[in-house]
Amino acid sequence: MKSWLILLGGFIVWTVHFFGLYLIAEFAPSATLVIALTILCIIADLWLLRWLRAMACSEAFAQWRRSVGMAGAVLSLLAVLWQGLPVMLA
Amino acid sequence: MRSETGFDPYLYQRFPTQEERPPEEEEGLRRIWCAPKGWEYLTVVNNNYVGIFYLGTAFLFFLLAGVLALLMRVQLAAPLMEVLPQATYNQVFTMHGTVMMFLFAVPMVEAAGVLLLPQMLAARDLPFPRLSAYAFWAYAVGGLAFFASLFVGLAPDGGWFMYPPYTSKAYSPGINADFWLLGIGFIEISAIAGAIEIIVGVLRTRAPGMSLDKMPIFAWAMLVFAVMIIIAFPSVILATLLLEIERAFNWSFFDAARGGDPVLWQHLFWFFGHPEVYIIFLPAAGMMSMIIPTVARTELVGYRLIVLAMIATGFISFGVWAHHMFTVGLPPMTTGFFSAASMAVSLPAGIQVFSWIATLAIGRPRFNAPGLFVLGSIVIFVTGGLTGVMVALVPFDWQAHDTYFIVAHLHYVLIGGMVFPLFAAMYYWIPMVSSRAMSERLAKWVFGLMFTGMNVAFMPMHLAGLMGMPRRVYTYLPGSGWDMLNLISTVGAFLFAFGVLLFLIDLARNFRMAPGGGNAGNVYGAGSLEWLPTELYSTRSIPVVKSREPLWDDPKISDDVEQGRYFLPRSATGLRETIVTSPLLAEPQYVQIMPGPSVWPLVAAIFTAFFFLALTVQAYMFGLASGVITVMAMLRWLSETDRPIAQDEVDIGAGIMVPTYMTGPRSHGWWAMVILMIVMAMISAMAMFGLAFLWSNQPGFWTPPASLGGGIPIALGYGLVVAAAVSCRWLHRMGKNWAVAPVLLAGLAAPLLTWLDIRMWSAVLAPDASGQGAAVFAILSLQGTVAAIGVLFAAYLGWRSLRGLITPTGNSTLDLACLFIGYCGAQGLVGTIFTRAVGA
Repeated sequence: MKSWLILLGGFIVWTVHFFGLYLIAEFAPSATLVIALTILCIIADLWLLRWLRAMACSEAFAQWRRSVGMAGAVLSLLAVLWQGLPVMLA
Repeated sequence: MRSETGFDPYLYQRFPTQEERPPEEEEGLRRIWCAPKGWEYLTVVNNNYVGIFYLGTAFLFFLLAGVLALLMRVQLAAPLMEVLPQATYNQVFTMHGTVMMFLFAVPMVEAAGVLLLPQMLAARDLPFPRLSAYAFWAYAVGGLAFFASLFVGLAPDGGWFMYPPYTSKAYSPGINADFWLLGIGFIEISAIAGAIEIIVGVLRTRAPGMSLDKMPIFAWAMLVFAVMIIIAFPSVILATLLLEIERAFNWSFFDAARGGDPVLWQHLFWFFGHPEVYIIFLPAAGMMSMIIPTVARTELVGYRLIVLAMIATGFISFGVWAHHMFTVGLPPMTTGFFSAASMAVSLPAGIQVFSWIATLAIGRPRFNAPGLFVLGSIVIFVTGGLTGVMVALVPFDWQAHDTYFIVAHLHYVLIGGMVFPLFAAMYYWIPMVSSRAMSERLAKWVFGLMFTGMNVAFMPMHLAGLMGMPRRVYTYLPGSGWDMLNLISTVGAFLFAFGVLLFLIDLARNFRMAPGGGNAGNVYGAGSLEWLPTELYSTRSIPVVKSREPLWDDPKISDDVEQGRYFLPRSATGLRETIVTSPLLAEPQYVQIMPGPSVWPLVAAIFTAFFFLALTVQAYMFGLASGVITVMAMLRWLSETDRPIAQDEVDIGAGIMVPTYMTGPRSHGWWAMVILMIVMAMISAMAMFGLAFLWSNQPGFWTPPASLGGGIPIALGYGLVVAAAVSCRWLHRMGKNWAVAPVLLAGLAAPLLTWLDIRMWSAVLAPDASGQGAAVFAILSLQGTVAAIGVLFAAYLGWRSLRGLITPTGNSTLDLACLFIGYCGAQGLVGTIFTRAVGA
């Protein structure tokens, strides 16, 4: 389970953010909620990156797993910021 | 990294073994995995046959849908043509889209997985061969019957996305729409069955040592593809069920005048429909990533980035469905998010394209048949991707929506992203299954005609669309400026068709099926395991994998594998078997006994198709009988599995002993059941979303729901069902055989609880009274269906228990029954509370 969390962590954060945004827009439209959720997800991505950076990896698979996880977290960070922009700029 | 299962990785150093293997071992393998004769071809379950049958049938549907496309192009070649009447044209374009998406694209890539994955992973077969056979036959029988509706004028005519209210009973009173709604039911079942097979196969039957970072990129693509099917298809299953119920019983899910909402259909459909594009694209991209390194004679650039991109595509593609609905009038905030996500999804696709270009740039590419098709694919797909970014911009989409610009865009994406890679794959892998490779000389003509034809056909459609030509019109007036563009498109379509025809001629000349060896061999010099010498049992022995291109890195591996110097050089139990490995590091865990040929998957598949088709033509008694026969056939096929094995442990090579039976979360059956439960949970979650959506959008039709207090005893009852299922499994492991009884009772209690809930709701609301009533009773009906399946599980468990087939160590059936009945209780619990909470 830990390996899957490392590999998919960033994308899980993105999923929470995206579907959170959709539910807010559909059922309770509020810019404040959107911004709060975006900040929470950015913090989650940053925490994930810090955790993965600090993780000791001596073997090939563990290194590979960490590098995919970190790239996923970076991609997620960009996507969360990108998708928060329409509301933040409005 | 520590061992995942306690297996000592130093044991791999015992391979390749040095001693000679007795010759009778190979004879034994040949006998156990023997080729079918005569009628036995109908009962075959081996992936070498089922995969080819599957591919052939899917390609047949490609040709049939292609003929429909040509008919449309002839009709549109000039203004006011009268080749097809308007009503027939509507059926033809609906069937073209439906057949291409449901009967060609998804089954084709699934078929490629069934055929290639066991070889790439060096498994004897996929873990549920009978499920593969069932998936194929359900698709083939049902698909052909569905297509035949065109010949009697009953084919669906509402477009491949079947929007209500146009497809409601009021505007589509015939059974054409029902053919679509029920006709694709068996395709959905077939796709999900295939996806379960692929997920468990990729994660649990890889060759020892093939950790996730050494997995072939095609296997990664198929894994993400199958997970996406599991998440996306439930949405369209639910949507088709709801629309069919609305048409048959007048429940108003999508009728705005009675508290339904047609936009709900669009949400449900596109939650499936957009990921569907990536469901088709990802396996094709996986094929590209396998072919390009071979063509370029170098390693793939950015393996880990491509894996990342595939996973990212899998996730982000679920956040773009509403970009098909920008003109519907969504809230501005929603539009903004979906527009942003639609642009973001181009990032992972871009990563893959740049990796392919970089691999070609640093290698020494050969522009042979697969090489030409991958290049063509990159050019066409990138063009389609760029217009995709254009339509992700909301103001542009408002202009281009429902015009031929979209037709051009989607064909560039799908032909570049799937059809060209598929042709590259056919040229590339046909030598693996045929004794003769395809002609390189003819292939250049095929490529030239298809590439030119594709661009001549679809490039002008961008212009026609920007000039205002709408989609789905059967004709147009002269002088609109579209005449020449349409004529050019028609010429292009025929050029493309000539290319395909030439390919067929080449196929007929050169393809000679060689499932028992004697194939043309590794003609392109690839490095992955599917190019090891194989017979019907796959490779003679299963190698230890130490890199991503084992054939490049270890020139002796083919010979060692052939000499039986690796794992499982013989049948350890005298039965069909493969090694089940751990999901991350692929450490050997146990030997799985695989079922052999059987007629029951075929019988179940035929009657599954009859069931749906009988409902379509309203032959309800025949439908009921077909359903019963389907269930009986499945139980019969199951009854031959999960049998006691004489040996508890066997030597799988070099003195390494593993068990022959596994139960609980480490077993492959448990994994399959969990995936099935995810499918059911997604259907249920989508139904609950539907209820919440209607409450949010149609508050004027809402009545106070049944009381939460009244629902608490029912919820508690469901909680007891869960508790019984969990405790039964635990007690049985402690040797308490009587523990089967509580789970049997729980299985029988669940439908009773659903019936009580229905009674309670009936006092408050009728299903045909409003959207709320329809949605609540749909949730209850789904719960009733799950409970009925739970009863079947309980009955099957009771039968096996009475026959003494359930023991404290041999209790896989018990585990799976407990898992399902526990799930049934959990779904009931959530549904009982949720339906009362919305709008309370």
